[in-house]
Amino acid sequence: MNEIRDHVISLLVSKFDVPAEMVTTDTTLEDMDLDSLARVELLVTLEERWHISLTDDDDSSADISVEQLVQRVRDLVDGDAGEQGRPA
Amino acid sequence: MSKAPVAVTGIGLVTPAGIGAEQSWRAVLDGTATAAPDPQLAGLPVDLSCRVTGYDPRIHVGGRQPWRLDRYSQFAVTASREAVADANLSPGSWDGARVAVVLGSAAGGVASYENAVSTVRDKGPAAVSALTMPAFLPNMACGQLAIDLGARGPALSTATACASGATAILTAAMLLQAGACDVAVAGGSDSMVTPVCVAAFAQIKALSRNRDPGSASRPFDAARDGFVIGEGAGFLILERQADAVSRGARVRALLAGYGSAADAYQPVAPHPEARGLRDALVQALDSAGASFADVDHVNAHGTSTLLNDRAEALMLARTFTSRPPSVTSVKGVLGHTMGAAGAIEAALTVLSVQHQVVPPTGGFAAPDPDTARIDLVVGSARQQRLNLALSCSAGFGGHNAVLAFAAVLSPLGTARSQSAARRPG
Repeated sequence: MNEIRDHVISLLVSKFDVPAEMVTTDTTLEDMDLDSLARVELLVTLEERWHISLTDDDDSSADISVEQLVQRVRDLVDGDAGEQGRPA
Repeated sequence: MSKAPVAVTGIGLVTPAGIGAEQSWRAVLDGTATAAPDPQLAGLPVDLSCRVTGYDPRIHVGGRQPWRLDRYSQFAVTASREAVADANLSPGSWDGARVAVVLGSAAGGVASYENAVSTVRDKGPAAVSALTMPAFLPNMACGQLAIDLGARGPALSTATACASGATAILTAAMLLQAGACDVAVAGGSDSMVTPVCVAAFAQIKALSRNRDPGSASRPFDAARDGFVIGEGAGFLILERQADAVSRGARVRALLAGYGSAADAYQPVAPHPEARGLRDALVQALDSAGASFADVDHVNAHGTSTLLNDRAEALMLARTFTSRPPSVTSVKGVLGHTMGAAGAIEAALTVLSVQHQVVPPTGGFAAPDPDTARIDLVVGSARQQRLNLALSCSAGFGGHNAVLAFAAVLSPLGTARSQSAARRPG
């Protein structure tokens, strides 16, 4: 869980140039001024790193917080590990 | 129809010789080649390039945008901002609806495209970056400048290969003279130092195989064997002279005339007598109200390829029979910056006219019988009276563009100043 959270936060700061002080667990993607293009790129990058498939439900990703995003990734990683019987 | 005189009130440059017009200009005057071995080209038939060094998009673009932009768009943002500031203009204070952006590029975000191709092949389509399309489309640097500068007038992209930047500048002058805008941000940008581009240019023997960085790019030299690929951006701020004078702007030089013509000959080889380039040159002089004898200097296309330099030198020698102008090619220092070259060279020609000095042709050692017929500036910069100077550009496809710049205090410039003063409004 911490590894996923660390990756998401690191990604937001290093790739998307979000000021580090702006990234808290409750901050939403919209709060961080990530527009639709940036949000798609964020999901694509997470999919690539964690070998998962994230579905962008219309614009709902704008409203989700960092913590919710971390949880979504974790659920998918855990689910995938459970199904395939291998560690994430 | 009488055309309103056009003033150059600002310039901005990102070149292999420096980030900024002043740094680039000093390096070009010095004449030292910027070519260097390029680790990213290791294993390719040619591994020399003229890259922009020390460029950090987080510093030179800043804000939250750099990660979205291909390098060619980043260069364009940096250089255009410098040009706007140099003209003492500000996006916060102008009427954006009257500001045009015209940007030339030979290949757009080709590096982003090559990365995406590799990703599809190696990782599958789901891994392709969401930024791919906005990064590589050839108009996106232009669109980005419009966003960055709040410019809501005409926003046009020109693609005439290595004449693209010069074509953008003459297109912008037409827009100003047609009354379609009051300010034009015009120039070119390219970053084509990529494996595919280098391999493809090498296949058609366009690149120098000389491994000495100091002499690989040697325009008009007897031993020239191709160009060294470079990257960068150059921008001019153009305004109708009457508008520039009325707001008290410093006018660096006047864009006195321009010409555009095609070889209609062959896809990559220039016409042996540079037919299209000569036609563009004649048009430029006609529109400037000048004759061959008025031309003091030519900033040549001078790529360091066998065919271009021979055709261009022969054309210049046959055209200027009574009073040969001085000739230089800055590609000896900067390499060939592709679609940016015409705009970078236009900016450097403006500085030549403003400061009355011609930079030397880097890399040059000795002429051949064809190139010996022009008055090439070599060794060191030459102080010279410059009333009228031409910047010549040519590109694959047979595109040619010539820009004529006049000194503000020259007879041509004075005549145009008086004409501008008489113009109502």
